[in-house]
Amino acid sequence: MAIFLTFIIWPALRGIYISFFDSTDGRTFTFVGTANYKAIIGDPTAIEVAKATATYVVFYVLIATTLAMFFAIVVNEQKFAKGFFRAVLFLPVMLSPVVVGLIWNDVLDRKVGPLNALLEAVGGGSPGWLIEPKLGMIAVIFVGVWVHLGFYSIILLAGLQGIDRSLLEAASMDGATRGQIIRLIILPLLKPTTLVIIILATIHGFQSFDFIYTLTGGGPFGATTLIVQYIYDHAFQVPIQYGLGSAAGVILFMVIFAFTALNFLLGRKRDAI
Amino acid sequence: MRSLKLSSSKQKWTSASGKRPPTRAEILRTTFLTVMMLIILAPVVWFVLSSFKDITDLSSRPPKILPTHWAFENYTEAFKMYNYKQYFMNSVFITSVATVLTLVINSMAAYAFSKYNFRGRDGLFVMTLAMIMIPLQVILIPIYLVVSSLGLVNTYWGMIIPAAATPTGVFILRQYMLTIPDELIESARIDGAGEFRIFARIVLPLARPALAVVAIFSILWRWNDFIWPLLIAQDEKLYTLPVALALLNGQLVVPYNIVLAMSVMSIIPVLFMFVFMQRQIIQGIAQTGLK
Repeated sequence: MAIFLTFIIWPALRGIYISFFDSTDGRTFTFVGTANYKAIIGDPTAIEVAKATATYVVFYVLIATTLAMFFAIVVNEQKFAKGFFRAVLFLPVMLSPVVVGLIWNDVLDRKVGPLNALLEAVGGGSPGWLIEPKLGMIAVIFVGVWVHLGFYSIILLAGLQGIDRSLLEAASMDGATRGQIIRLIILPLLKPTTLVIIILATIHGFQSFDFIYTLTGGGPFGATTLIVQYIYDHAFQVPIQYGLGSAAGVILFMVIFAFTALNFLLGRKRDAI
Repeated sequence: MRSLKLSSSKQKWTSASGKRPPTRAEILRTTFLTVMMLIILAPVVWFVLSSFKDITDLSSRPPKILPTHWAFENYTEAFKMYNYKQYFMNSVFITSVATVLTLVINSMAAYAFSKYNFRGRDGLFVMTLAMIMIPLQVILIPIYLVVSSLGLVNTYWGMIIPAAATPTGVFILRQYMLTIPDELIESARIDGAGEFRIFARIVLPLARPALAVVAIFSILWRWNDFIWPLLIAQDEKLYTLPVALALLNGQLVVPYNIVLAMSVMSIIPVLFMFVFMQRQIIQGIAQTGLK
């Protein structure tokens, strides 16, 4: 318990505390009030980072949850080689994010990457995936989804397997089409699990750092620098600004917390209707 | 090949069993899944193939799928140069010690939470749960400052001890231990077994499935950890594999083919574990919703 207190609770409180101070060595702290927060709000890079993070999280959560739902339903119905498909789907989750970044760096390389070779073969030109800011963001979102898709699908699959089969059989006896069964029975029954997935995906989205570090390094031109990298850059790269980094950490926590709460509330509200 | 595959597929969720020709939906589904699996697998396969290419092959345009000559020397070189063995052993050491420590600490905490009544127990447990919600990235700086004030920056313990505090593990183990009947523990107590003996001889063996899940998670987490070791391991001798790979990749002095070989070697242990423990891993994740 002491370890938990030392390494989680205490730091969490201390993080909020430090965010009101200025420190470059972690020993001496000068009280600066809300100056760190003001500095972040007034920092044009921070605004860019906030925009990039928002773009990333929105698309990541939407695409990842939709695809995961789709996959879970398809794999669940699949009889042939179901275990194999599930295992492959899950494989990227096991890989170290650092290596994932390296893998896609290799695949998306403008000149010698296989993707552009394929595109050129069909006359699609050779886009600079990791060179142009917009494409860089697309690449990062895609890889983020690629990594986590299996994870969300597995949780949804577990939820699907919890659905009483006799319910589905009864519906199909009564003449419901597959589309109707999915839309009117499976999706509503799966709602609690879906909510969990959306919350997890939101948190993961805001936390993304490692695979981006080796995929784009936050570039091109800072287009894929998300909030965690911003924290890292400000707190652990010269000039060291622990206070500013902590303030960004507090903001990140509040945003995650707000989104989680919002998801819960929305989920509950729709239940009531 | 395709038709052979499909003929062995059976029915969907309706009607009786028995072989019959695949429906259009089944063909569509299997084809779709096969294509998607290719999209998922292809990059990994490409990467592994790349690790066997020499520099000329790697920079050829258009890229070659198979290496013109299989450059196994990438692998042997990797071991000779750049302290790769050291990084590998660091990862092994940190992963195993942190996992053992995690199991010991978490199982004790879980036992206390599930089988003892003490003041503030439920409050503490709620706090533990709340901690699952706090991502490491948010408290990165303060933890770093705590570790640094303990003088643990740039040491193995600085990477191991904070990692051992995994509330997730406590949660999984506690839920499992709740299912162990109190009577069992009571009767052991009446038979004169000491508290530690009960814990070691009765509770731990019974909680083995949950311990396995926590152990697997811990191994995965620690092996793949990046941001924390990146902060703590400042001396190159302490680098873990992910840190070494990320930093070497940024430096132009290290040939790219060697980085590739190192990366592939670094994922082999995890893949090995996945192949053998797939069921436990997937079930564990499905049940807890944690990664």
